[in-house]
Order: sequence, then C-alpha cells, then structure tokens
Amino acid sequence: MTISDFIAIPVETGPSWGSGCGTGSGCGSGSGCGAGPGPDPMARIGYRGPELLPLDAGQQYRFGFSMNACIGCHSCEVACAEQNGLPAGTTWRRVGEIEGGDHPNTKRFHLSMSCNHCLEPACLEGCPTNAYTKLANGVVAHHADDCIGCQYCTWNCPYSVPAFQPDRHIVTKCDMCEPRLGAGLAPACVSACPTYAITVERFYPDDWRADHSQGDAPELPSVDLTLSTTRIELPANMPATTIAASDWNLRPEHPHWPLVWLTLLTQLAAGTSATADTFADRCVGAALAGAGLLGAMFHLGRPAMAWKALRNLRRSWLSREVFLLSVYAALAASAVVVPALATAATISALLGIYASARLYVVPGRPAWNTPLTVVRFFATAAATGPLITGHTSVAVVGMAVALGATALNWCRLARHHSQPWRGAVSLELRWFRPWTIGRWMLVGVAIVAAVSGQSWMSLWLALALATASEAIGRWLFFVTVVPLNVPGAFWRGAAGSHR
Amino acid sequence: MSSPTAKRTVRDRVGKLLGVDHGGDRYTYVDAPGQGPISASRAVDHWVRTTCGYCSVGCGMLLGVRDGAAVAVQGDPGHPVNAGRLCPKGLTEHLMIAAVGRLTTPTVRGHAVGWDTALDHVVSGFQDLIAKYGPESVAILSTGQLVTEEFYALGKLARIGMGLQHYDGNTTLCMASSVAGYKMSFGSDGPPGCYEDLELADVVVLWGANIADNHPLLAPRVLAPASVTGGATGNRTVIAVDPRVTKTAMVADVHLAVRARGDIALLNGIMAVLVADGLVDIDELRAHVNGLDDLVADLASWPLDRAATESGIDAELIRTVAHLIGRAERCVIAWTMGVNHSVQGTMTVTLLNTLALLTGNIGKPGAAPLSITGQCNAMGTRETGFTASMPGYRSYDNPAHRAELAALWGIDESRIPRERGRAYPDIINAVVSGRIKGLWIIGTNPVVSYPNRATLEFALDQLDLLVVQDGFETPTTAKAHVVLPAAIWGEKDGTFTNSERRVSRVRAAVDPPGLARSDFEIFMMIAERWGCAELFTGWSTPHDAFEEWRRVSAGRPCDYSGITWDRIDAAGGVHWPCPAGPEGDDVPLGGSPRLYTDLHFNTPDGKAKAHVVQPERIRDRPRERFPMLLNTGRTVEHWHTRTKTGRIAVLEGLAPEAWVELHPTDATALGVRSGDWVKVVSERGQIDAIRARVTAIVRPGEAFIPFHWDDRCANRLTVDEFDPISREPNYKQCAVRVERVPSR
Repeated sequence: MTISDFIAIPVETGPSWGSGCGTGSGCGSGSGCGAGPGPDPMARIGYRGPELLPLDAGQQYRFGFSMNACIGCHSCEVACAEQNGLPAGTTWRRVGEIEGGDHPNTKRFHLSMSCNHCLEPACLEGCPTNAYTKLANGVVAHHADDCIGCQYCTWNCPYSVPAFQPDRHIVTKCDMCEPRLGAGLAPACVSACPTYAITVERFYPDDWRADHSQGDAPELPSVDLTLSTTRIELPANMPATTIAASDWNLRPEHPHWPLVWLTLLTQLAAGTSATADTFADRCVGAALAGAGLLGAMFHLGRPAMAWKALRNLRRSWLSREVFLLSVYAALAASAVVVPALATAATISALLGIYASARLYVVPGRPAWNTPLTVVRFFATAAATGPLITGHTSVAVVGMAVALGATALNWCRLARHHSQPWRGAVSLELRWFRPWTIGRWMLVGVAIVAAVSGQSWMSLWLALALATASEAIGRWLFFVTVVPLNVPGAFWRGAAGSHR
Repeated sequence: MSSPTAKRTVRDRVGKLLGVDHGGDRYTYVDAPGQGPISASRAVDHWVRTTCGYCSVGCGMLLGVRDGAAVAVQGDPGHPVNAGRLCPKGLTEHLMIAAVGRLTTPTVRGHAVGWDTALDHVVSGFQDLIAKYGPESVAILSTGQLVTEEFYALGKLARIGMGLQHYDGNTTLCMASSVAGYKMSFGSDGPPGCYEDLELADVVVLWGANIADNHPLLAPRVLAPASVTGGATGNRTVIAVDPRVTKTAMVADVHLAVRARGDIALLNGIMAVLVADGLVDIDELRAHVNGLDDLVADLASWPLDRAATESGIDAELIRTVAHLIGRAERCVIAWTMGVNHSVQGTMTVTLLNTLALLTGNIGKPGAAPLSITGQCNAMGTRETGFTASMPGYRSYDNPAHRAELAALWGIDESRIPRERGRAYPDIINAVVSGRIKGLWIIGTNPVVSYPNRATLEFALDQLDLLVVQDGFETPTTAKAHVVLPAAIWGEKDGTFTNSERRVSRVRAAVDPPGLARSDFEIFMMIAERWGCAELFTGWSTPHDAFEEWRRVSAGRPCDYSGITWDRIDAAGGVHWPCPAGPEGDDVPLGGSPRLYTDLHFNTPDGKAKAHVVQPERIRDRPRERFPMLLNTGRTVEHWHTRTKTGRIAVLEGLAPEAWVELHPTDATALGVRSGDWVKVVSERGQIDAIRARVTAIVRPGEAFIPFHWDDRCANRLTVDEFDPISREPNYKQCAVRVERVPSR
C-alpha cells in the first residue's frame, strides 16, 4: 500500500497511518513505487476532493482534530482562503501553537481551529438580525444578506471566530464549506490536510450534550460555554503547564468610536431625562438621546439595513437596546411638548441603559462579563446628566460609583491568570496608564467643582470634566477588553501579519 | 453632466457606504467541473498537469487556468508522491505567477531596452572581458529551479559554447555535500532510495531533516502510527536528530537533541555499539564494502562515554538507538541541510552512508540512505549540468568520459573541459580578488542567500559586468548592470527530477508577462550571438534538448534513455535509471525506484567505501564577545529568499518577518521577553532589530533565525567557511551576541 491508496477514502476518520504499510507485501522492489496509478492519468483531472459519508437520521457533521497528527504546516488555512477566495487578513481557519516543557523535552502542539459549529452558538443567540441559523446538518451558517455589520457576534463567540471583513462591511466566518457538504464533499481544510489531522465526523448531538469532554484543549476556552462540537484528540504527553505562542502580543482592541458615542450620549441623556425639572432639561435629554442613536448608525457596516436590528427581540440584548433606546428617544422628544410622557421616557431610558449594558455582559469578553458593567453604565448616567439638571449630589455619587466599579473590576480580573482577564488590567494600568490616571484626576477635579459651589460656571466645569472622564472611561472599556480566543501562532495580530 | 459610468460609480460608492451592497457578487460560489462548489474567483476553464516548482519533494499538481490567467491549483489526486495534497506554498503557487515585481523587460543599467540591445550588451561585454583577461574572467552562477532541459542547454552553452571555466549553481549552497558524500561512498551521485521506502521502513531516521517545515508532504509518509495515535499502537519508529526541537522532532518517537556539530561523534558512537554488540557482520560486508578494517579500528576509539560527551546524547540512549537501527529489518536514513550545511558535511554524509552499509540498509525496499533535496530540480542540474560532474555523472578527469561526450556531440575532444572550475564560493572569492570580472547570475538571489552578506555585496559591487536573469525583482537584480526577464514556473515546459530520482513533467499554462522569455529561449539567443549555435542544431523546444539528453545519459548511472515525455505522463513520473528497452522487462513503467539493488556500486571494483571521520571543533565558536551559537534554517510558509512567497499575501500574513529564537534562560539573563526587539551581532555583521521569540525549543546558549528575509537577513551574521570537499557553506553554526534593544 502506498499513499495513493488513501485517495478518495471516506473522511470519517482519515486513514490509520501505517496499517498494512509495514509489511512490504505487494510493495516489492521495482513494482509498487514507480508504477504509477493507472493507464490514463489525464482522466484523473477532475478531482474534487475526498467524498463525505452521508448523515443518518439525527446525525450532524462536526470537525475532528488530532493534535498528534498535526505538523503545523498551515495548509488548512491556505486551502480555506483559496476555497473561499478570501482577501488577506480574513482567516476563517487559524493554526495556533501551544508550548510547554524544557529543552530537550519541549513539546509544542498545533491547534487548527475554524468555526466549532456549536450546539449553543453564542453568535446565533446574540445576533440582532437573525443572520445566523443552525442547519440540520450541524453547520452554523451566516447569511450575508441579513448581516448589518454590527459585529456583536464577534464579541459573543468565545473563540473569536466570526470576524468583520472590511471590504464587505459585514462579518464572515467558516461555514464548513456547506456548499461542498451539499455536493457530498469534505470541506477544503479537510481535503487539504497532508497528515489527515482534520476530519469531518458524524455525531449525535444528544450524545455530545451528555459528554463533550473531548471538546476541550489547553489554552482553548471551555467547551461548556457554547457546546463547541469540534472533537479534539489530545496528545498523551501534554506538559502540565503550557502557553500559547500568541500570548506575548497583548494589544488594544478596536475603540468602536460610534459605540463610545452611543453609550455615552444615551447615558448622558438618560441622566438628564431622569432628573429633568424644566422644559429646557427635557429638550436637552431628547436632543442627546437622538444624537446618540444617530451616531450609532456609523458603527454598522451597513447603516441602510439598521432596521433589521429589531429582528431578534426574543433573544438579543442588542435588538432590545435598539428598540428601547428608540422608544426612549421618541418618548423624550414627545415629552418636550407633552410633559406627562416624561415618566414614561425615564422608564424607557433606564430600561434602555440596562439593555445597553447587558449586551456587553458576555462570556467571550471576560472584562465585561460582570454585573459591574451594568453598574458602570448606570453610574455614567448618574455622573453626567444630573449636572445638566443641577442635581450635583447625584452626580458626585455617580462619579464615585463609576470609579469604584472600575476598580472593583480590576480586582476581579487580576485574580485570574489567563490573559483575557489579567491582560485587560494590564492594558488599562500599563499600556494606557496616562489615560487611566487622567481619568481619575478629572473625576477628582469634577467632584471638587461640583461640590464647591452652585455657580453656573462650576456646574458646567464639573459637567465637562465628568463627561470627559466618562468618555475616557468608555473608550478604555472598549480598547482594554481582551477577547477569549483560540490559541494563536507567534505572529497573530503582530504588525505585518494579516491575522 | 456626468456620464453613465460616473453615475454608476457614485451609486456604487453610496451603496457601499450605506451597505446596500455587501460585495456578495465577489464572493459567489460556482459549481465548477472538477472542483466542486468553489469561490467563483478560483473557477477554471481548464487544468494543466504539472509538478510543483518549490521543493524537491516533487508534488504532482494541477494548475487551473481561466481566461489565460492562472487562478487555482490543486494537488494531483493520483500522483504517487502527494496523493492530491499540497503544502501552503504549493496551494498558493498560482498567485505567484501574476504577483507584483515580475520582470517584464530587459534593462541595461536601469534603462528598459529590447532583447537585441540587452543580449548584444551581454555577449559583447563578456567577450570583451574574455579577450582582455582570458576565459577565466567570466563565470556563471545558476540555480536548482530551471527545468532539466534548460540545465542541459546551459551546461553545454557555458562550458563548451562560451568556453567558460567557472560555472556553478546555488545547489552548492544546499546539496553539494550530499553529492560529494555519495561519490565518496558509492562512486557516483544519486540518492539510492525512494519515498515508498519511508512507508516500508521499520525505523526512519531523520538526521538534520525538519521535514514538517521543509518537506511537508513527506511527513505523512514518515509519521509513525505511534506518533499519530499518541503511542497507542505502531510498528514504525521515527528517530529525529536535531539540536532544536523542531516540528519534526515533536512528532518523532525518539528525538536526539544532538549538540551542534555533534553528529560525527553520535554516528561513530552508534556504529561502535553496532560493532561491539555484534549487530553487524563485518566479514559478510567485505564482499561489497572497502575500508572496513580502518573503520572498525577507528570505532574502537569511540567508547560510549566519549560519544555521549561529544554528542551531548545520553550513553544509554545512544545504545538504544543503535539497537533500534541495528535490529530493524528495514531502516531509512534520511537527511538534509542539518547535515549538508557544515564544513564537515561531505564526511558526515559518508558516515550516514556507512551506517546504511553496515546495517544492510541499501538496495532493498524500505531500506536506504536518502538525501532529501532542496530545490525542485537541483537533481536535474546535478545530472545534466557541467558543475560537480559533466553531464551524466561523467568525470572531468576521466579521458574515456571526455571522449564519449565529444563523440556524442560531434566536437573535438579538446573542447571538453578537463577540470571542474571554481565552485560557487571560489567564484565569489575570485570576484573579490579581481580575477573574475564578469558574472551571469541565473535564477538565484545571492545577496540574501550567501553566507557573510558583507563579502558577497562587496564582490558584486566590484564586477565590471553583472548580468542577472530572473523572473522577479530581487536585491540581486537591483545590483545588476543588465537584467534579463525570464519566464517562471507555470510559463515553461520541461521536466523536474525530485529527491527520489523521479522525473516529472512541468508544463506552461500561461504566457510570460511582457517581454519575458523562457530561460531556454534566452540560452538559445545567447548561443546564436556567441557564435556557438552549431551545438544546438535542430533544437527549437526544450523537448529537443530532452531527446539529446536521453542519448547523452544512455548507459550512465542516471540513465534517461528509456524515459520519454509520454512515458512520464503514463506513469505519473519515472525514476531513473531507466534504460531504453521493452517496458516491463527489467525496468517497469515507472523506472527504477532503487539504486544498488545488486550491491554493485559505481566504483572501479564495484565496492562501496567506508570512510573514517573525525569530528572537528566549530571554528567560529562562542567566546566572550560572542557568547551564543547561532543556527539558521527555514519556516514552512516561505521559500528560500522569499522572491516568490514574499509576494503572496496569505503566506506573508502567516510569517511576516524574521525572528530569533532564544531559550528562556538566556532571555531572562538578557531581560528579554517574547516580542521584544533585540540586536544580533556576529564578527561579520549584525541585525539591528529583530523580534525575540522566547522558546524552549532551542538549547540554552543557542539561538535560531530563519534565513528567508532580506531585511533582518541571517546571512549578515553567518560565517563564510566552506566544506573543503563540497565547498558547501557552514550555515548552521556561528558565534553571535544578542543584545536587548531598549525600545522601538
């Protein structure tokens, strides 16, 4: 038997290496090796890849991966990019490296990961437009036409699988080569793997729900989060402690300026509306709410499709945020002329802020995944809006709570050793140290200004400083979060790397 | 008033800004015949069957063409080498053809000119130098990446037609030590085994061969079941010998982290155990091997503790490995640059050959010494060229061989050279000393690839006439007086020969860009102008060269006479030797997968030779000013000096820049963490800033830098020391100092 005997075998498990190959039977000198596979080799042109075993009733497809077999050649990543015509920088499959032990007993293992086609996909749950569906064959499919580029799924996925594709203004991700599956073919990565480390397997979802222990690997977020379906074969000689090769490259996330604008302004508006005493206060609240919502449109890759964000009120906190804040803006505007609606506006504002905060409380972003996020968002509302309406004591409490909640979150995160926890603190206190210090100093001066007098000047100074402080705080909120991710290769995220 | 086009553009822009259009039309799938559902951007009109143009594994490939452009590749599913799979370089090879930086017009001193002007400049320039300074004043440096037909033409053109004395290739930078080692052991060049042997062996030894990074499609043939299953089952044992815990060492069953230049001690130690423990029958070997008595006498001076001390491998582990090899029914001993890239490369190769001879692992299925070649067609130039040997492995100093060639070509015997001429490093040295004044560089980029870059750059700057022929702009073409734009893989017809002597077809699928011409055409144009066209009478295509080469190789160890382009297609590649004759009698359709099956070697008495080898200390060894030992090598994403892979975005994204690997102990002492910038300094030059990768895959006190990059070029550091026999550089060890760069 030679390697060519492995062609077009069913891809359930890949070949078992060496079976029948160690005996030399039929492989005698001069016969097997050079003889080539057939009389008409040109007829072989027209290859489409290994055939797929069909599903039985109740079965789904999943990826399998053997850390023992993978040699880290990256063929899967490249084959994926070729199959899908992906531009540089968009990688639906990535090969990471984890290392442990010391020379000469060092162990470095590779982990090739694409979408895990979870049984409880967080991308699907959170998507405001219902752009994701879980197909009967197991694939978590993303529908480009329905995607508005809000990128909420990129925060929800604990494996950082869905990613914004800049040239399309939408998120894209692995679909297990669904069109190939439909044609009875294995995905491109499976077809390309030289060592058959990646496979497509059939499985019964209920069995996996009952026992999914084979979905975990070192440096990989827990399978429990979303019931990832990828089955990972781990080496027997895995060192006790490991690091991911990408760990050195701790770097800030995207600031999402329109979201800094949206959350800050709607919270400022809510604080104003909730404490509004006058016509002018109500005008200001309504104007800020409207401006906040409009600004958020710039966050979407496809602003013209913004209305689709209301499609998933049943499950998505983002849909609820959009709905509640829109209701609030409408009620606040109405309350300008019909003061009786002010209470309703305030209620919708507070619900809107709650929804707004809740959407960040996701396992995929540990620094946000805490009730403190909700506290911080309400604290921002309290710290700013009341300074417009002259309720300085509320504002002082708000500012203190905002800083206190931030500090408490550092304490919470610093207790963990994994980078998505500890790294977030490191970014805020080391990388962005001047901004963090500046934020605290601004609050200090703002509190002094707020309590030192009720003059017009000091109130406006306090408002300006408190708003600046909360703006910095919100910007830091976005840039210092460290997403959960699959372990990366050394260059992931580095300058020049397209990943 | 705006035109309809402008209107559409405005509408498109607004549409994109608002997100009405998400670009889905660029990402549609089509169900292409033979491809299955695939991105429309990769859908092809027709496939062209060819062989990969990167490494010498020689993977069969289909190159897909649509509207005259190469748009896709896939592995040839029925190919006996790779069974339809490819490495990441192969998977993107179509992108290389239309990559930026292709040379499309000849230039003379930076000015675009026509072929006539450029070639007149080349021919008159070289001829003037020869008239003034003699034929020794002009030299050629070629490559391992042309087709065999071009190598055959070039050798004949250079040594017979142009009458040059100095012609060598960059193959001297990679396989020369294997060539010389084979000659010393077996009487001629030629890897004795084939890839199938890797699958048939009980024990596979990978000596200084990181196949997972460098020859990925061999990995699946070597990986023992024990490696794949984590030790549950398995009947093949893989032993990796490498100072670094490479990707290959990680998946091997046994890893011998040999000390740098500790190979010879380790090999002597293993052989001493084999002899002492009665695992070899010296008397039985005498029928086929000379030099055994001297060897056995010398091995007495290699007790286990000495071998252990000098190799850095535990004595008991040496014994265990010796027994594994000695008791294996079939063992393949494969090696590549970890062995070759040394001042003792040639002699180390002879020791590996001797180990195979002692243990009877030659000439039978699953048992062979096997050098795994570097470039796609380094074998082709070794066989047909006029470098280390004359065409057909003929010797310069053998009068009968010279007479044969003269007769075959119908020329006077006095035109056949009597000696090799200078090897690559000696050509560079002669340029430095002013004896060589004209240099023609073909398909290689010495500015990045030659050791001790400072010397090389000094040399190139000295030349009166530097002609560089390449497919792409490179740091070397930037120094050239005349640049000749050549067609590349995918645009040329011919054959490649891989590491297992399998001759495969490469085919033109698309036209070369602009004025670029195939190397074959360029050689013929030069022959015409030089006045030696009579050597190529009747040649119009590479196939004509192949047909002549078949006749020239007839009866030689690398006998192509039975190989036709049709037979290559029919068999999926044909191993030489393949004498002409009725197929299926002595030689099957696919040729001869193994050499020396009758244990008759290409020496006068038919016996192989066992050599005695003593290790030498590393000359540029760590000392106070340069306390660390630098090792260099490759990474899977890139090929050589990135002339090709550096232009492919997906590969660049995977490995965008060079790095230096440092052990955590050294990194801590330097105050360096992964990702920090460091400076690396040797006696010859320095890399000002390179990212540190702190990893325990290197030994404390050792560092590793991949050599592919022009910036952060490892060869600014490496030492220009050469094997005295093969003239191969000692890329693998030199002394360096690593310094922390405060911040960048």
